[in-house]
Amino acid sequence: MREYIMPGSQRTLLFAGMGVGVLCLILSWFVGTDEFHTRFWTNLLHNTVFFTGISFIALFFICVCITAWAGWYTLFKRVWEAFSLFMIFGFVIMIIIALGNYMGFHHLYHWNDPDSIINDKIINHKSTFLNKNVYMIGGLIVMGVWYFFARKMRSLSLAEGRDGDASFSYHHTARVWAAAFLPFAGFSSAFIIWQWVMSLDAHWYSTMFAWYAGASWFVSMICLTLLVLLYMKSKGYYEQVTGEHIHDLGKFLFAFSIFWTYLWFSQYMLIWYANVGEETIYFRHRLDNYPVLFYGNLLINFIFPFFVLMRNDTKRKFGSVGIVAVIVLFGHWWDYFLMIKPGALHTAHELAGHGHGHGGDHGGHDAAHAVEHASHFVSGFTLPGLIEIGVFIGFLSAFLYVVYTRLASAPLVSERDPYLAESIHHHV
Amino acid sequence: MTIRDKKVIYGLYDDEQDLLKAVKAANKDHLDILDVFSPFPVHGLDPLLGLEESRLHIAGFIYGALGTLTAFLGMTWIFTRDWPIVFGGKPHWSVPAFIPITFETTVLFASIGMVVTFYVICGLGPGVTNPTLDDRLTDDKFAIAFDAGHIDSGAAESFFARTGASEVNTKIL
Repeated sequence: MREYIMPGSQRTLLFAGMGVGVLCLILSWFVGTDEFHTRFWTNLLHNTVFFTGISFIALFFICVCITAWAGWYTLFKRVWEAFSLFMIFGFVIMIIIALGNYMGFHHLYHWNDPDSIINDKIINHKSTFLNKNVYMIGGLIVMGVWYFFARKMRSLSLAEGRDGDASFSYHHTARVWAAAFLPFAGFSSAFIIWQWVMSLDAHWYSTMFAWYAGASWFVSMICLTLLVLLYMKSKGYYEQVTGEHIHDLGKFLFAFSIFWTYLWFSQYMLIWYANVGEETIYFRHRLDNYPVLFYGNLLINFIFPFFVLMRNDTKRKFGSVGIVAVIVLFGHWWDYFLMIKPGALHTAHELAGHGHGHGGDHGGHDAAHAVEHASHFVSGFTLPGLIEIGVFIGFLSAFLYVVYTRLASAPLVSERDPYLAESIHHHV
Repeated sequence: MTIRDKKVIYGLYDDEQDLLKAVKAANKDHLDILDVFSPFPVHGLDPLLGLEESRLHIAGFIYGALGTLTAFLGMTWIFTRDWPIVFGGKPHWSVPAFIPITFETTVLFASIGMVVTFYVICGLGPGVTNPTLDDRLTDDKFAIAFDAGHIDSGAAESFFARTGASEVNTKIL
């Protein structure tokens, strides 16, 4: 059971990646076309939500596995623990964004526009839930509880690895905490997704949105797990993680890609079928102005993994499952891009419309539409530009840096975990 | 696998671990196992017997694809050519509305097709009686069977005695 030592070259590479990310973030502050620096703030929000979500889902899945008495993942559970410890860095950025609602750093959220709160009926109606105080205080409570549980599960797991025994004493304790976290995680993740992501389109809502966004996080988490494990194996760590474990992760990737599609399509079809104007506008907008993203999303996140991972052996071979993991990870980042950018851009245009003296709700709305129809391609909004890719690389490097330092800070394998033997002999 | 008019010598084992060890021993001695019987799938038995991976799932994929095409093309024909009706102001060729039914038909075709194929391959079906080697094989016993025409009965008996079989019988199937 070797300890992981982070090689200097890896550290350099990840720092270089973070450097690219910071550079691109700074660039996105200056190249934006609007006075609110919406491109910068949406990039920040987009990547923070994406990686914090991956971190949260890793914690969620650890708790699911513990509650279900699962043992197959025990060999590499440190990877998920390391994922879950990233969330604190995401929270710092989310608190900055929450502060921005008070200080006016940004105009990401339409519901935070003082004029709209008074004059816009729908936003006025929702203002008990969509306001800066709920965003800040609710967010702080949820983030605090999540981080508390992440630390708790990690410390219990470390203690179990040090002096656990066959009496399952640590496991029983961990199971109580895990079971306590699951219902909270279920409701709080929906709250967080509504507040952070869905409220960007403040007029619109969908009851399936939280599930759909959560499924996106889950698939991304599995992709990153596969990639980290394959990397670690290529460096000679985790010899005992075999094709059997990779096969199970591949099955999760396959199954949850389909689950994501199921939710994506159910949301789309119900809105398409019911044809209620205030709901369909969300998809009308995306179909008209973001067709590449919209259809590409389905192609890259459903068609591609569905047909490639359908066979037994493509889930087991490191090459094929690794390539799918890379592409689908990017695909779900792209999915979040499509959730976040159009709404924020629309808000920015609408507020710009107000600012130029059109006045009233309709003036802003029409102005926003006029701007969107005039230019079908807005780099960084209708398609991810190089800057967005750079920011993604930066966040990915930061995430991996945190993950590898956390992996290096504890034994790679939880040696005295009562489930370790089951995990080593895992066979599907 | 169907076995007909064959004299079979078989040993019964009480435990699946004994069975696995016995199959390994038979492989080592190059004894030609006719078949192995078990009340449940024994983990790790397939590779020892050199069984190929089932191709049933390939048939399943073809049935599924057939179901997809049947439903999708069928609905396309019905709603655009045969009997076009306007539903809720939607176009006649409303792909999103077709998807759930296409999905269900895919599952239906794949599942029924695979069950029927499986029954045909195994020679199962209503009214078919298959000879059983020993009734206890459906309960708590495991058996290794040799073709009595291909193995010396003394060699078989010594093999069963050596590998801890609880009982050795012969039967004509």
